[in-house]
Amino acid sequence: MTTDVLTVQQVSKKFPPNIIALESASLNVRAGEVHCLLGANGAGKSTLLKIIAGAFRPTDGSLLLDGKPVDLHSPSQAARLGISMIYQELDLVPQLTVEQNLFLGHAPGRFGLINHRERRERAAAALKRVGAHFKPEARVETLSVANQQLTAIARSLTMDAKIIIMDEPSASLNETELESVFKVIRELVRQGVAILYVSHRLGELREIGDRVTVLRGGRTIETFDVKSTGDGALVEAIIGKQRSLIERKTREPVTGDVVLRVNRLRGPEGLDISGLDVRWGEVVGLTGLNGSGRTSFLKSLFGANRFDGDIKLEGKSFHPRHPAHAIRSGIGLVPENRKTEGLVLHAPIYKNATLPSMRESWLTRHSLQKQKTAPVLKSLSTKYGRPEQAVVQLSGGNQQKVVLAKWIINGARVLLLDEPSRGLDIGAKADLYNLVDRLAREGAAVIVASSELDELYAACDTIWVFHEGRNIGKYDPSVADRDAILRATILGENHVQH
Amino acid sequence: MSNTETALPPADTPAFGKRLVDLAIEYNFIVIFLAVVVIATSLSSNFLTFTNIANLFQQAAVVGVVAIGMTFVILTGNIDLSVGSVVALCGMLVAVLMSHGFDPFVAVAITALVGTACGAGMGAISALAQVPSFIVTLAGLVSFRGITYLMTDGVPVSGLPQGFASISSTMIPLLPGFSLSSMGLIFVVLCIIAGLVLRFTVFGEYVFATGGNPEAARLSGLPTRFMITAVFAVSGFMAALGGILLTSRLRIGQPTAAQGLELDAIAAVVLGGTSLFGGRGGVLGTFFAVMLLQVLRNIFNLLGLGSFYQMTVTGIIIVAAILLNRFIDHRKGRG
Repeated sequence: MTTDVLTVQQVSKKFPPNIIALESASLNVRAGEVHCLLGANGAGKSTLLKIIAGAFRPTDGSLLLDGKPVDLHSPSQAARLGISMIYQELDLVPQLTVEQNLFLGHAPGRFGLINHRERRERAAAALKRVGAHFKPEARVETLSVANQQLTAIARSLTMDAKIIIMDEPSASLNETELESVFKVIRELVRQGVAILYVSHRLGELREIGDRVTVLRGGRTIETFDVKSTGDGALVEAIIGKQRSLIERKTREPVTGDVVLRVNRLRGPEGLDISGLDVRWGEVVGLTGLNGSGRTSFLKSLFGANRFDGDIKLEGKSFHPRHPAHAIRSGIGLVPENRKTEGLVLHAPIYKNATLPSMRESWLTRHSLQKQKTAPVLKSLSTKYGRPEQAVVQLSGGNQQKVVLAKWIINGARVLLLDEPSRGLDIGAKADLYNLVDRLAREGAAVIVASSELDELYAACDTIWVFHEGRNIGKYDPSVADRDAILRATILGENHVQH
Repeated sequence: MSNTETALPPADTPAFGKRLVDLAIEYNFIVIFLAVVVIATSLSSNFLTFTNIANLFQQAAVVGVVAIGMTFVILTGNIDLSVGSVVALCGMLVAVLMSHGFDPFVAVAITALVGTACGAGMGAISALAQVPSFIVTLAGLVSFRGITYLMTDGVPVSGLPQGFASISSTMIPLLPGFSLSSMGLIFVVLCIIAGLVLRFTVFGEYVFATGGNPEAARLSGLPTRFMITAVFAVSGFMAALGGILLTSRLRIGQPTAAQGLELDAIAAVVLGGTSLFGGRGGVLGTFFAVMLLQVLRNIFNLLGLGSFYQMTVTGIIIVAAILLNRFIDHRKGRG
């Protein structure tokens, strides 16, 4: 008889002021099954996982463990109750040994003394259960990623986990490594442990999953039996049928010359881009799942990543080795994380806005800097008090405009925007894309990377789909079907329709 | 006036009293300094005399000059532990050079160059090899002291030319009845120059940006590695000046001099409100903190209390000042 280890009932999570990450999501995981969780970026997977693992408390709804309602206050409480979470980045301490990691926080012993023999024995037993061939006294940093993954699973076993949550374990594993992890999962499931497996790769799901629940827009759409469900039905459930919320503006055909021609670009993490052109006045969108190489590509173009390749900028060979080179060539990057990469948060607005363009002279002329900043911020309709204000006091959307202003003041004509709308509300998003549109009309060339296809669909002249480091398909959103693009981002190369 | 108008004070012109409080919080080191001065004046009638004030500046000059360089380093989020040893090294070097018959001007120039090179070298290692500056300069602290001893086998160098002493102790009249020794004046002038550099040059702006957010600075095209190297070069140069002034005042090259000076300099910079994490602070605070520590020493001397009291109380004051700054940061929501 199969029993439900974990039941999630109508769970909602709201973040103030008005973000709804989850809306009555429900899920039940049975003992001895691999239950997969599937959904596009922003579907609410992470939020749901964090609620189950005790890191977030739900705004509404309840969790049942073995049929009994539980109220989770903290991850450690969840762990004690048998819910174990393995994060994508594996929260192990690399400098410590495997056995130290396995029992971190719950080492056997008393009065603060560790019973080393018992720990060694129990560690060896846990490692044996996951079929590990390394020693408990090995240091974690000397292990391969796959073996670290096994260590993390073994750690869950030392806490008597009834249910192990794995968040995209495949992201950092190659195929043989993944196969060995799958073997362990199958063995654990046979022993009665339940696994909640999160991934957006359909292939893995076919190999390991028993049932799959699809999340979309914070709601659970349906739970399918993996064997009896086709890819089509799953993709349908992931991407849904509703039309884009942002209206696509009629865009005039781009007539400018090619400004940036990426014949070939090979970079870190298997990045391999070829045949990507950008014209003056064109807005090119890059879409793809997380880790598909969008950020890596933009950083390479900006000289912040090392790469090999053949790139032409305005007909001339272009190979930036430092951001300063790219900036002098008229390129500007609005990085993915404006707080850690884009802004000096505690510095005044005008200093942030003029940071790249200050190199023109030896002396700072504060009044001139303010003079240069004010009209640009105004044209971007930035809301701020005084230019001397620390930029940290602005809202996210206005901070993003300051980052954009940096490059406009510096006279950049090629703009690279990496997830520019992240963390912005709907109004600020629309505002931002209106600006992008205007800059392109004024002749700039713009590349926008975003995981929100709807935004790109509304704002771009061309959309490229990135998949596992490669640019696999080029679409014209004025004629291409949105769902076809989405299918390509999820399924990859073989599903590109031209 | 209607009710609604009285209920909301105009936002663009905050009340004068509130602005004064904000200023006092922002420049709390000045307030504390003034408070200590008032206490000192009430404790001893000798405190607020021209002679004593001139003495204060003279005694603060060496640490003060070094602390200016340290301010640049700490503003980028780094630390320079080697300055005490560089002071001793340069103090000895200038003495040795002159005892070998070099003209004082040439000796001073060579020494300043060597100090700058020491700093730049450590900065370059830290920036290019991505080694924490704490470690690189800790190695510098040990090695430069070793080189200092090696120069004369640990023997002090005396018999320096008469003119060399005038670098530090020429009395320069500023007001009727008030003259400042040249080394005190050099300290003040260097503070002003450093303040202007930080405020009005692109270099200064880059120092703040590099310390405030190195990644954002790099992605804005700033030469962040060069900046790290440069601030250490500044610190090395300042330490060399400190060494020259010290030898000039002592009239002897002393290889054991300036032990622990780096800690006094770091304490002054942090006491002056410069964040150890970089990106925030300035040389005005450093100036007042150096003077504050000197006034404290002065009070203890005037009261006849020994250096054990001085050390104890100085430590307590530093902790209190840091807690105050943490509190202010917290209040301003800077976590």
